[in-house]
Formats: sequence, structure tokens, C-alpha cells
Amino acid sequence: MRLIDLIKLIFENLNRRKGRVVLTAIGVVIGTAAVVILVSLAIGLQQNATNQFGSIADLTQISVWPGMDEGGGGGGNMVVIAGGGGGGQTPQMKLLTPDKLKEFEAMPGVVAVIPREYMQANAFINYNKLETYANIVGMGTSDMSFFGYKLASGTWELKKGTAIIGGEMVKSFYDPKLRPGQEPPPPPELQDQEVKLTLIKYTTDANGNGVEVKKTMRIKIVGVTAETNNEAGYTMYMSLDDITAINEWVQGKRINYNKTGYSMVTVKVDDREHVLDVSDQITQMGFQANSAESYVQSIDSFFVVLQVIFGGVGAVALLVAAIGIANTMTMAIMERTREIGLMKAVGATNRDVLSIFLGEASGIGFIGGLGGVIIGWGGGQIINVLASAYLAGQATQGGPPTTLSIYTPTWLPIFAILFATLVGLLSGLYPALRAATLVPITALKYE
Amino acid sequence: MTEDSMIQVSALRKTYRMGTTLVHALDGVDLTVERNTFSVLLGPSGSGKSTLLYLLGGLDRPTSGKITINRTNLDTLDENALALYRRKTVGFIFQSFNLIPTMNALENVAFPMSFVGIPSGQRKKKAYELLKVVGLEKRALHKPTELSGGQQQRVAIARALVNDPPLILADEPTGNLDTASGHLVLQILTELHQSGRTVLVVTHDERMVRYATNVVRLLDGRIVDHDITNFDDAAVPAAQESR
Repeated sequence: MRLIDLIKLIFENLNRRKGRVVLTAIGVVIGTAAVVILVSLAIGLQQNATNQFGSIADLTQISVWPGMDEGGGGGGNMVVIAGGGGGGQTPQMKLLTPDKLKEFEAMPGVVAVIPREYMQANAFINYNKLETYANIVGMGTSDMSFFGYKLASGTWELKKGTAIIGGEMVKSFYDPKLRPGQEPPPPPELQDQEVKLTLIKYTTDANGNGVEVKKTMRIKIVGVTAETNNEAGYTMYMSLDDITAINEWVQGKRINYNKTGYSMVTVKVDDREHVLDVSDQITQMGFQANSAESYVQSIDSFFVVLQVIFGGVGAVALLVAAIGIANTMTMAIMERTREIGLMKAVGATNRDVLSIFLGEASGIGFIGGLGGVIIGWGGGQIINVLASAYLAGQATQGGPPTTLSIYTPTWLPIFAILFATLVGLLSGLYPALRAATLVPITALKYE
Repeated sequence: MTEDSMIQVSALRKTYRMGTTLVHALDGVDLTVERNTFSVLLGPSGSGKSTLLYLLGGLDRPTSGKITINRTNLDTLDENALALYRRKTVGFIFQSFNLIPTMNALENVAFPMSFVGIPSGQRKKKAYELLKVVGLEKRALHKPTELSGGQQQRVAIARALVNDPPLILADEPTGNLDTASGHLVLQILTELHQSGRTVLVVTHDERMVRYATNVVRLLDGRIVDHDITNFDDAAVPAAQESR
């Protein structure tokens, strides 16, 4: 039998009993729509979660901290045990010295290794009459562009005596002399302006009394970031040399990174695929390494589980629909037993009969799947519109705008229709096999 | 009996189980039917004549015995080959017509050809030609419910002919028809015989005997009489219904 004739016959036969086919297909519609909406929701939630991670930290960065060295190997532990109370071994810090940084740089896939230090002094920044508390980080690079953060204005080039300031930090400037009821001033335009940085350290004088020591310096703002919800939005970046000098002033002694190590290093990798690899190597060297990628991967696996659970809920509805299809097909075959006998008498093979009835069952699955996909996809779009309208209303009351997105990837409707068709096919298997193996004369004589 | 007979049956038995009792529908039948004959299988209800017809048509399998049709031993055929045998060798005509109610006359006639894989255009063309042969070309687009019993049976005859089978098997073809329609159907069957086909008709209507070249009488699953006469042109019934 030619495929075109088979398909035509199948749809003619389905058309013969429209009412029953539609009722049966509604079960499949509900199941498929449930699968499409729920899986789309899970995928949408996953995308939201990963997107937020993507903006909080570049996924190709690894943050490395000094590690706790665990006693210098098994032999050392043996000595401790044998030595009894002989002054227990204090764990050695695994330091992020410039030598180690070179080792990181040599790892395959590593693009850059950037040491960073927090400023140890209390600090505030003044610009004209405005003031803000400063969160300042020293970066061991002159080019911050490859972090991938967005700039509102200026440059990512960081030199001695200059700073790049976070867009959100600019908004935190306030007027200390502002009286209640007065309109707060707008955020200052800081691009290419000089700000006054006031540093404060606490020390003791000759009598042992606490003394506050202040120092001021002028810093030129060369860039303002456009970031909102990550470090680059709330931080002022300065060169590592500047911060080292300030920290030396705070500590009152020279800092030798070969002896103290850096407090943190950012390792930038060329591709997301290499992140976990490099991260593992660094961990094996005894450092603490952390990457957004590892979070994203665990989040991904969580959402895969969520998708399976959501998909499973829809699949239960499809299972019920499958029983409906099996029932409808069994009824159809009983009603058309004589017709099956006739088909066989005029030369239809068992395979022809099987194809026709499997095709009809699959056809119900396909029609239901198609309807379910349309309703599921459409329903998802409607929920998206309603939810974003609702959330936009919520966002005006403060806080960053939240998005809820039901995202239907192209593969999902295709998969859903194929799956519904497969469900139809499997439900029709038993009735169709029964029809195909009927003895022709028994079928012809069926009353 | 020759090697080239259309039908050769030997020691054919068919036993049904009805609850706990065994019913011997056919109890050792031997029969040879030559090519290009018009055979009538007569017998009262329960004599096994329909059972014999269906076994010859490959719609059922015998309990024992051998059936050779058109040089093909049906025992050796698997389900698939048996379906091909029914498709190519046999044209069935049933008492209750067995037309598909949702298809019109043309589609009903064309239907068996779809299993052969003939394209739709050719199917319809041939079906129309066959409807002309049975005089129903003007009713080609009518559904079975819009046709009289006689017309439905003529559609069924046209359907039996689509794959050009050498053997026509008819089970009480006039049983549900009025006398006039029955005559017309008989006339068509006679014409099929004259065109070179072998026709075997099961009936309990004694009047059919006069059109037959062979008359086989069955009783209780056995052949009790087998008359072979020469075909008589004069016996062809005159058409009483205008085609």
C-alpha cells in the first residue's frame, strides 16, 4: 500500500467518527498541553536562573583563594602521631604568591590571572559637597575590559592614580548637610572628574591610646560602569599598586607578595568548557577555587530534574489519554470487524490492516498532540504576558525588575507532537494487532 | 481431472469446536473443477458449502486435506502469501455485499487496488470501467445507502473483478435480492464465465442449476453428487432489469 493512500485512508476513517475522535483527542490535548506548559516553565525558570548567574559573574572566571595546606602529606601525619603531644602541627596556608600565579597562567585554557586586594583602610569619597562610603578593590591589571562588564562611560584602562567606579556606587553619593525635607541631589557626573579619597586608620600613640589617622589623596575617575546587580556596580576599582601603597600605610610596613601572597586571584579562562578543568587543577594544587560555572552546572542538573518531574506530571495525563485511545480503537475495531474481514478478502495483508489501525491510533495522538502544542504554547504566551504585566506593577514598588518567562524551545513542540503520536501508536498496538491477526472468515461473519 | 485444473481438493476436512462438541463442517471432500467452468455448489443450510467456498478462497485454513488452486498449494502459503493469493487469484462476492458504507460506488470498487499500490488516478479509471461493465457508471458517486440491493451487489461484483482474478467465488450472491435483480446478477456471472473466468457459486437456489456447467451437491460435509454438463448458451438468463 502506498504511503499517500495509507495516510488518506487513515484520515478518511478518522473523519468517519469525528465526535469520538475529537473526544479521545481532547485527552491527548490536555496531556500534551500540560507537558508543553510545565516543561516550558521549567526551562524558563532555568534560563532566568542561569541568566542571573551570567550577569553576576562572568561564567569563564574562577575565583581563587589561598588554601589550607593539610600537613604536608601522609608522612607528616605519622610523625605527629608518633610524636604524641610534641607541639601539634599548625596547618600551613597555601599562599597565592606571584610564582603560583605563573603556574596558573601556564595551564591550558587560561587567558589571564589577575591578583586583587581589598583596601584595608576605612575610606570615603568626596566630590564637591557630596560624599559616599567607598568599597575599593585593587586590580592587578591595567586592562579590565576582558571581564566583560558593561561601561556607561570612559575606559577600562586602569593606571596609577585613576579609578573606575560602579554605576550603582555613583548613585549612593549623598549630601551630608542635607536638611530633612530637602530634595536629595542627583547623582554626580563623575566621568573624567577628580574625587577626594579620605583614608582612615586606627593606631595607638606612645601612651597606648587609640588614635585615628587620616590621609587624603585625589583620584581621577576614568570610567563608570553600567552594571547594576554585581560587584562591578558597587565597587570602585583602582590599580593594585595604589591599593598596595595604601595597605602598606595602614600596616606601617612593606608588603612582599612573595611572602604574604595575594588575598584573592581571578583566573580568566577562554571557554566555559575549560572552567571546571582549570578549577580542578587549581584545587588539586591546594587552593580554594570557585566558579559560577560550577553553580550553573548544579543548577542545570536541578532544573533537568525539575523538567523531568514537570514532564512526568504531564505524562500522567497522557497515560490516561492513551487508555482512552486504546478504548476508542478497540471499539472501532469491534464495529469494523466485518470491514477488516472484507479488506482481507480483497487482498489486504496483515501488515496493511496493522498499518491502517496503528495509523488511526497514531492519527488521534497526532491530532491531540497538535492541539495540545497549540494550546500549551499559546497558554504559555498568555501566562508570560499576564505575569510580566503583574511583575512590572510589582517592580515599581522598588527592587530590580523580576521576569518570569515560560520559554518554549523549538524542539519541545516537535518532541511533544512526536511523543503524543507515539503514545497513540503504542495505545493502538494491541487493538491493531488483534485486528491484523483476525481470521478473515471470522471477521466477515462477525455480527 | 487434469494437472491444470483450476481447483483440486482432496480429503478436505474442517472441524469447528462449538463449546465442548466438535462440528465436522467438511468431512473428507474431494473435488476437481476445471478452468472456465460455471460451478454451482448446492446444499441445505449446514451442509458445509459456504465453509468449502471460504477454504477455497483462502479466508480460512482447513483442519486437514489439500487444496490446490490455479497450481498453487494453499497449505504452503503463509499469511502474507495467502493475502497475495486472495488479491491476485480470487474475486469474492458475498450475500451481504460488504460494501464500505462511507465510500461511494467508485471508491468501493477501487479500494482493493490500493493494497496493490496502484496510483489513485489509475484506480479510479479502472473502477469506472468496471462500473460500466456492470451498468452502474451513472451511479459511481453514490454511497451504498443510495443504491438498491441489486445495484450494491453489482458494485460488489465490479469490486471482485478489479485485480483481474481468474476465479470468482460467490456466496449466495442472489440471496438478498429480488428476482429481477437476482437475474441480472446471474447474467453478469454468466458473462464472467463466458469471458474465460472460472465461477463458483454457493447457493441453495435450485433455479441456478440450469446456468451451471458443474453442479456439486453437499450434505453433512460430504459431496453427494457431482454433475458435469456442457455449458448451454441457451441457459443464459435474459436481463429483466434495465442496466
